[in-house]
Amino acid sequence: MIFRAVEDADLIHKARKGDVDAFNLLVSRWDRRVYNYILRLVNSREDALDLSQDTFLKAYQNLKKLEDPSRFAPWIFRIAHNEAYSLLRRRRPEVDSDEGLPPDRVVAREFPVEMSLAAAAALNRLSPDHREAVVLKVYQGFKFEEMSDILEIPVSTVKSRLYTALELLKTELAPAVRRSNS
Amino acid sequence: MSTPCPPYDLRDLLLEELTAPQQREVRLHLKTCAACNSELDALRSTHAALLTLRDEDIPQRIGFVSDKVFEPSPVLRWFTGVWTSAARLGFVSAALLSIAILVHATRPAPQTPAAPTISQAEIDRRVQQAVATQVAAQLQPKIDAAVAQAVAETEKSAQKRTTEVIAAAQRRLDMERTWAASVQLELSRYNKMKQNGEMVRASFGGGAQ
Repeated sequence: MIFRAVEDADLIHKARKGDVDAFNLLVSRWDRRVYNYILRLVNSREDALDLSQDTFLKAYQNLKKLEDPSRFAPWIFRIAHNEAYSLLRRRRPEVDSDEGLPPDRVVAREFPVEMSLAAAAALNRLSPDHREAVVLKVYQGFKFEEMSDILEIPVSTVKSRLYTALELLKTELAPAVRRSNS
Repeated sequence: MSTPCPPYDLRDLLLEELTAPQQREVRLHLKTCAACNSELDALRSTHAALLTLRDEDIPQRIGFVSDKVFEPSPVLRWFTGVWTSAARLGFVSAALLSIAILVHATRPAPQTPAAPTISQAEIDRRVQQAVATQVAAQLQPKIDAAVAQAVAETEKSAQKRTTEVIAAAQRRLDMERTWAASVQLELSRYNKMKQNGEMVRASFGGGAQ
């Protein structure tokens, strides 16, 4: 008997046959990442949880459409992206008015608090497209090609968005960085 | 003195999008370029500031139960299970084939309607009549055609033979005429020589006797 780690592809294969337990195991591997990704896009824990559940439900219902199981991560994040932007489009006025507000709903829990608050505020001041590029790269660690798949835009556009966002963040966070260094 | 700034973006170095050789080249350059060092420090500080914002735990685990709403129908599951397994598909095919053979073997033969009773004499009469009709309809034209063809071939052969006989007789007649002409020519030569001889003999007074 050969023992090996159960991979996502194994779980996807079982889930495709109707094995709900296998799918639940797959969900448990990804739900935290998907939740935090959506949370940083919609800035609401309640919405992020609802959208995460919707994301995994749609994933289960469309699992047979996933051609390459090794590409599960970009695929599930693409679904999450669609769910989040669907909500953002429905609530566009509210989203627009929130963009300039301090991030009182996303509470940073790690020390130093001031830096976390500054980072959250700077992120929130970015446009949704720029913020999403930073979240996918800095917090989720996707490669440019994977981000291109998730966002369905060319790699050049991914890089352009990310570079612009980093320049804006660098300017925004410079005072907080200086204070922490002094 | 610093080397020229490499064509790679320092943000790509920070975001780990450069290949190992590209990273080496940039790091080598950073040892001598204060401007690039300063830029990279600023980027690292920004990146570090962003990373102080940690992921949150999900407030409620997401899980699914085996609900009929989300499950495919039993028929669809059975069909999918059979279709995606070669062994099951083979077994089902063999079972269907066996059932088909069994049904075919045990099915009663189809009932044929009973034939009306006819006497043997009537059958013979009808057969003869049918044969005669067929002969009249199909055989006679063939016979006529064969006879006509044979007659034509015979006439053609006789005509050819007659032509050959006439040609041979003509050749023989021509030969005989030629021979007669040559005989006539020889005879006239002989007579001429005879006359010449008599004239010579007369001029010498017949002393030669």
